[in-house]
Amino acid sequence: MAVTHDVPPQLDELVSTAHRIRQAIESVIEGKSDAVRLTLTVLLAEGHLLIEDVPGVGKTMLAKALARSIDCPVRRVQFTPDLLPSDITGVSAYNQQTREFEFKPGPVFANIVVGDEINRASPKTQSALLECMEEQQVTVDGVTYPLDTPFMVIATQNPIEMEGTYPLPEAQRDRFTARVAMGYPEPTAELEMLDVHGGTSPLDKLEPVATTAEVQALIAAVRGVYVSQPVKKYAIDLVVATRHSPDLRLGASPRSTLQLVRAARAHAALAGRDYVIPDDLQDLAVPVLAHRLLPSVEAQGQRRLPEQVVTELLRRVPVPETRGR
Amino acid sequence: MRLTFASGAAAFAAAFMLSPLFDGGTWFWTSLGAVLAVVAAGLLSSRLALPAWAAPLLSVAAAWIYLTAAFASDKAWALLVPTKESVAELARLLGVGWDDIQRFAAPVPTTEGITLLTAGGVALIAIAVDVLAARLRRAALAGLPLLALATVPATILSDPISWPAFIVAALGFVGLLIADGRERVGRWGRAVLVRRTTRAATPQSGSRTPADTSGLRLSGKRIGFAAIVLAVLVPALLPTMEPVSFFTFGVGGSGSGRGNSISIPNPIANLKGQLELPEPREVLTYTNNDDQARYLRIYALDAFDGNQFGMTEPKGSPANRTENGPLPPPIGLGRDPKINNVVTNVHISDQIARLSFLPLPYPARQIQVDGDWRADVDTLMVFSTRDEAAGLEYEVQTSEPAPDADLLDKLDTLQPAVDPRYLDLPRNLPEDIRDLAFRETNDGTTKYQKAVLLQKFFTGGSFTYDLRTQGHSNSALRDFLLYDRVGYCEQFAASMAVLARLVGIPSRVAIGYTGGTKVGDHWTVGTNDSHSWPELYFEGVGWLPFEPTPSGTMGQGSARVPPYSLPRPEPTGTSATPTPGASSSAADESADPGARQNPRALDREGLIPTGTVPVDESMPLIGKIGIGAGALVLLLLIPAGVRLITRNRRVRALGWKVTEPADELTARMVSDRVNSSVAAAWAELDDALYDYGMARQPSETPRALARRLTQQYEFDSDSAAAIAAIASAVERALFARNPGPVGPMSKDLRKVRQALAATVSRGRRLRAVLLPPSTLRRLRGLGERLLDGFDLLENIRLRRTAAQKGT
Repeated sequence: MAVTHDVPPQLDELVSTAHRIRQAIESVIEGKSDAVRLTLTVLLAEGHLLIEDVPGVGKTMLAKALARSIDCPVRRVQFTPDLLPSDITGVSAYNQQTREFEFKPGPVFANIVVGDEINRASPKTQSALLECMEEQQVTVDGVTYPLDTPFMVIATQNPIEMEGTYPLPEAQRDRFTARVAMGYPEPTAELEMLDVHGGTSPLDKLEPVATTAEVQALIAAVRGVYVSQPVKKYAIDLVVATRHSPDLRLGASPRSTLQLVRAARAHAALAGRDYVIPDDLQDLAVPVLAHRLLPSVEAQGQRRLPEQVVTELLRRVPVPETRGR
Repeated sequence: MRLTFASGAAAFAAAFMLSPLFDGGTWFWTSLGAVLAVVAAGLLSSRLALPAWAAPLLSVAAAWIYLTAAFASDKAWALLVPTKESVAELARLLGVGWDDIQRFAAPVPTTEGITLLTAGGVALIAIAVDVLAARLRRAALAGLPLLALATVPATILSDPISWPAFIVAALGFVGLLIADGRERVGRWGRAVLVRRTTRAATPQSGSRTPADTSGLRLSGKRIGFAAIVLAVLVPALLPTMEPVSFFTFGVGGSGSGRGNSISIPNPIANLKGQLELPEPREVLTYTNNDDQARYLRIYALDAFDGNQFGMTEPKGSPANRTENGPLPPPIGLGRDPKINNVVTNVHISDQIARLSFLPLPYPARQIQVDGDWRADVDTLMVFSTRDEAAGLEYEVQTSEPAPDADLLDKLDTLQPAVDPRYLDLPRNLPEDIRDLAFRETNDGTTKYQKAVLLQKFFTGGSFTYDLRTQGHSNSALRDFLLYDRVGYCEQFAASMAVLARLVGIPSRVAIGYTGGTKVGDHWTVGTNDSHSWPELYFEGVGWLPFEPTPSGTMGQGSARVPPYSLPRPEPTGTSATPTPGASSSAADESADPGARQNPRALDREGLIPTGTVPVDESMPLIGKIGIGAGALVLLLLIPAGVRLITRNRRVRALGWKVTEPADELTARMVSDRVNSSVAAAWAELDDALYDYGMARQPSETPRALARRLTQQYEFDSDSAAAIAAIASAVERALFARNPGPVGPMSKDLRKVRQALAATVSRGRRLRAVLLPPSTLRRLRGLGERLLDGFDLLENIRLRRTAAQKGT
């Protein structure tokens, strides 16, 4: 990992731009600053976000608000059981005038793709997103089309116990950098929501506060955030601990280590720091790792969620420190 | 199978502890053979699956055959099979061995009988252990016969048990327990979790290895080793209450490992204690055939360490028992001097406690006394390792040289053939004492004359006798000789011995009693007759006592000057010295009964209030307790001291003021200093938290710690800023590419400490200063590393066996 860049001078700018975006989103979503912050973190870490919660808590609103506040192409896909892969990636259609097949780009050809209720689509369609998400490219009829930067998939899903859902396969879950649960709003926030949403949708009033170029610069700045050896080691310790925990059937993948450190960089940059500290990793460990883990049968029996297991591991794994003398 | 081997090994290991009892090595090999025979029988009964009751019979039979083959093969059939004759022979040998044991004191020579007894005993123990451990599967109980074997030397010898032998024996028992545990767990067993090693926190690949008993074995061994190490080390570290080990005036040559050492109370402290008794008590009475008062010597102190005289440990071999006839000849006594042969009958009062040396006139030639008393060849001190002198009655024959001045002068040409240690002096002896010795003896041409001049120097009137003198230090010797010149017999005797050594006369200090007082038809010696005098060596005559202590009313009342030590010009009869020497006519003992009244009695009345409890110990109990408590306090203060030192070192490291570096090189240097200063601050904060009982969790980041402390202990804004500054500095030093400027952190650290201290109780604060747990934590860390080291060793071995199994 190249970490020898100089301190990015855009750090101040990054913080202020990020602040503007946050404010814009929070003008729409009340009292969910943690989720908003995580969303931004994932955006800057060039990752994808999975928003999971029951219907009606503002999942789609969050995704749309982020999309609106950045002045970039945004596409939205409503996943349904009859959705086909080509509905996502695009199709080659025969142009009678040119007598050639022409590629009609699908909704993934955008900077931000909102996949609504992704677990309602069939696994085949879900997996069409895989290539796009991991490799930022689309291959149709043997031709590969690259996607723009930034490219971020914000998928929302209902908990799998809900009717008419296909659970996301592990491989697909692993491709999301983080998962965030919205949770119900506080009563005060809900009251305010009633007032604001009473007449018109606040989303309509939302103006873009950042351009694509600005976001690209932010991403470049995040790449320059320094990660020291002890912190890298700490990240590995955390991930390895999930692989050895007796409460987990499946631990976190090496890809998750990569994404954890990337997200930590963005987290540090958002805090105005040009270096990562263990606290960044600790703050992100649950959203970044928990959705990839499978609890063991015993843990399931005790109704212990992977989130709890990760929290416990965070309490056990020692942080790097100076050798006391 | 394994248990049988382990039982044999344990029994043999326990037999190691017997080694100080024996003089030779035969018993060792014979016992080994006996144990092997028992093990072989045990293996056979395991193989044949004999019932539990039959196995010991087989073992006994095997041991019997072995002993027959080893000790009575000529009487046995085909060298092995016991016959009637061989049984009789073994019985005879047993009887002989029994007699030998009664006769000898440890270490005993390994005669055939004793070897047979030993081998038979070890075999019986081995059988008992085998029955308990391998047949009845009660390995822990098998410790009892092993313990019985191990306590044999402890009951026979007054010596401490030698620790290497103890370790071997303990390892044997631990091995037996481990073997038992393995058998047991191997039968039903899965896995027990062991201590999490430092490596286990981040396990390598393939963590879910199948559990086996090695972990259990490992922790068993670890506990066993730790217990043994503690058992050996802790007693060694504890301060003893024995005055000998506290004071320089002890007995030299501690713990040489010989089987017959003795415990000796501090002779000089004892002497002073006796002299200071408010009421003199009777120590002994004696009569002799020429009805002369004679000094009775108990100890001879030979080693001068610059402060005082001490005793080299006397050696008494079995050959020098008093019951074995004449004692070794007195050293240096030639044919020339006239010899007085005297027979003295001594009766020691039964009130005397813990006296394991006999008070004797010098030089004793033969002693009739009950018990195991032995003579030290060099000094002719007679002592016992098990008997005490209290209540004893004994007869001693002495051959006392009675040289005259002419003879002593004539013998001056002979070179002294005596151990050079009697001339040893510390190098740093003050120069003015040397000068004094040469000045005072300048007029003498022979060693004898110099000795007489020295004695005259002391008795000439410039010295004052006073019991209230204290101190044994080097300056005390100087003060006594050059300045105040006040002392009692200890100072006089030691000083004269030192001066004698300075002018080349071998010398030592004798401690014992003066001749005492004639009461009726016998001489009575009391505690007030305790005395110390120098003995000087002259080739051809041997050791001669001198008397530098003033006698009579102004000195040691019953002290008397030997005739040969008087200056020649005034032959005898000066009224100042009523001098009944051994060969001179008896002085008029009863002439001046008032003179017997010792001035010390008057001194004491001023010194000790009347009606006090008599103190007959060398050092009062309260003093001992005080010294013990003091030592304990010092020991307890060690952690506090260590903490203080660490803290000072860190505070020094904190002092680095670091500013923006100018170039690459200074940047690197500065970065190093930043790191060390930050590390110091962090470590100090960590220790302080630990001391106050609010230890940082290992998973707590600096930032999280600062947050927690601020919230939990409600820091004010200053303290919160201070801890935040420390946390930020630590964070930057650890994780940032460039830590940037770091100010001196001592002020912040102090603020945080104060804020923390304010939240804890006074007791906790006091404890943090006096008994800081962080130091103990460090010690524990050391112990953990030690255990990790054990694990490493253990793993190396396990891996190899695993590899062997694989091939």
